[in-house]
Amino acid sequence: MILQILQDALFAAIAAIGFAAISRPPRRAYLYCAIIAAVGHSARFIMMHEEFFSMNIILATFLASFFVGSLAVFLSPLARVPAETCLFPALLPMIPGIYAYKTFGGLAMCIFGNDESAFSHSFYLFAQNGLTCLFILLGMVIGATIPIFIFKKVSFQATR
Amino acid sequence: MYPATAEMSMNMMTKISDTAVSPTGGLCSRELCRFLSRYGAWLLGCGATCIRLEKNMRRIAEAYGKEVELTVMPRHIHVTVYEPGRNDMTTAISSVQATVISFNINTMLSRLSWEVADRKISFAEAERQFEQIITSDTQNRWLVLLLVTLANASFCRLFGGDAVAMAIVAVATAAGYYLKQLLLGRGADVRVVFLVCSFISSILGATDSLFSIGTTPEIAIGTSVLYLVPGIPFLNSFSDMLYRHYICAYSRFADAVVLTACLSTGLCAGMSLMHVGMF
Repeated sequence: MILQILQDALFAAIAAIGFAAISRPPRRAYLYCAIIAAVGHSARFIMMHEEFFSMNIILATFLASFFVGSLAVFLSPLARVPAETCLFPALLPMIPGIYAYKTFGGLAMCIFGNDESAFSHSFYLFAQNGLTCLFILLGMVIGATIPIFIFKKVSFQATR
Repeated sequence: MYPATAEMSMNMMTKISDTAVSPTGGLCSRELCRFLSRYGAWLLGCGATCIRLEKNMRRIAEAYGKEVELTVMPRHIHVTVYEPGRNDMTTAISSVQATVISFNINTMLSRLSWEVADRKISFAEAERQFEQIITSDTQNRWLVLLLVTLANASFCRLFGGDAVAMAIVAVATAAGYYLKQLLLGRGADVRVVFLVCSFISSILGATDSLFSIGTTPEIAIGTSVLYLVPGIPFLNSFSDMLYRHYICAYSRFADAVVLTACLSTGLCAGMSLMHVGMF
């Protein structure tokens, strides 16, 4: 179990570092991105796991993002970078990629399918995955931006 | 005749007040306005949120004893600088700098604003540092390619892909991201780049289901294009929305949606070419 959590944290950290590289952060920010992403993603993993809380993915993502946002706000002054620099790459591993993919898949099958029951099934897949994806995204960004909003003083003085 | 004269005398007034020495050490509003409009254009261009733009620009202006008001439009910034208690104002409009997202520039420009506010560096020094910041941002593209490849492979793992799927995603990502760097470097339209890259990556990502070598082919193909998802514009868009910059929020959101649509089109084309079903 512990191994699974650690594995989740490790891969989230690698993903965060790689996706951070796309948006050209200062070099010292990589470490913080990795730490925040690892903690955030494994927190979500624990919240969603049956052995612990078996929480719904939307709620778990919201809480984990709030956690990630708060960490970013208080760690970014240490790295002397804007909070967004640490925050955004750390959130990316939580982006619901597979749901988005299935949403488009469902949509494509709706358009190309012709019989009614197949259409209903595809539409169901489209709507179900689409709604989940949308609410995960909403929960993620709202959860992560609230700490920046609350701790305005800290988050805009990070580069001071 | 009269309106023309009035306008002329107003122009004269602006000129006179511009050259007049201000109490803060000889900096005139026009100079500061020109600087701030460039500063804002770069800050917004490198992917800063509107609230950061406002705060940084106010901070700089206040340090030089001026006030600044700005309108942030999706592709332009409208800056007005004035001195409290005086009547003359200077306005500048500048186009947002067309540059790649760079948190490095964002960080250094934010720090520059604090240097001005806390360390009271001179205006000439601030201008010098600004020029240095906008020309000094370099990155090793091979390192980025490697990191992105590893990142997308780990992403595949997070979604439950097996080792084969991870390897396939790594290859698909490396090829796609290399192509992206190449095409963007040659000045290709970013939407076309997204379409082409996701097409190539999805074809390579379909290897798994084509030869049925792994146990999680659908995760491999689904993840193979995720390095293209424009995460930063989406997140910036919501941040702008929270601070009620609705026009910028909408514009960033629209940009991100267009790119996502290009990505999905490329993915669908790749999958139908390889005869891979969605589910």
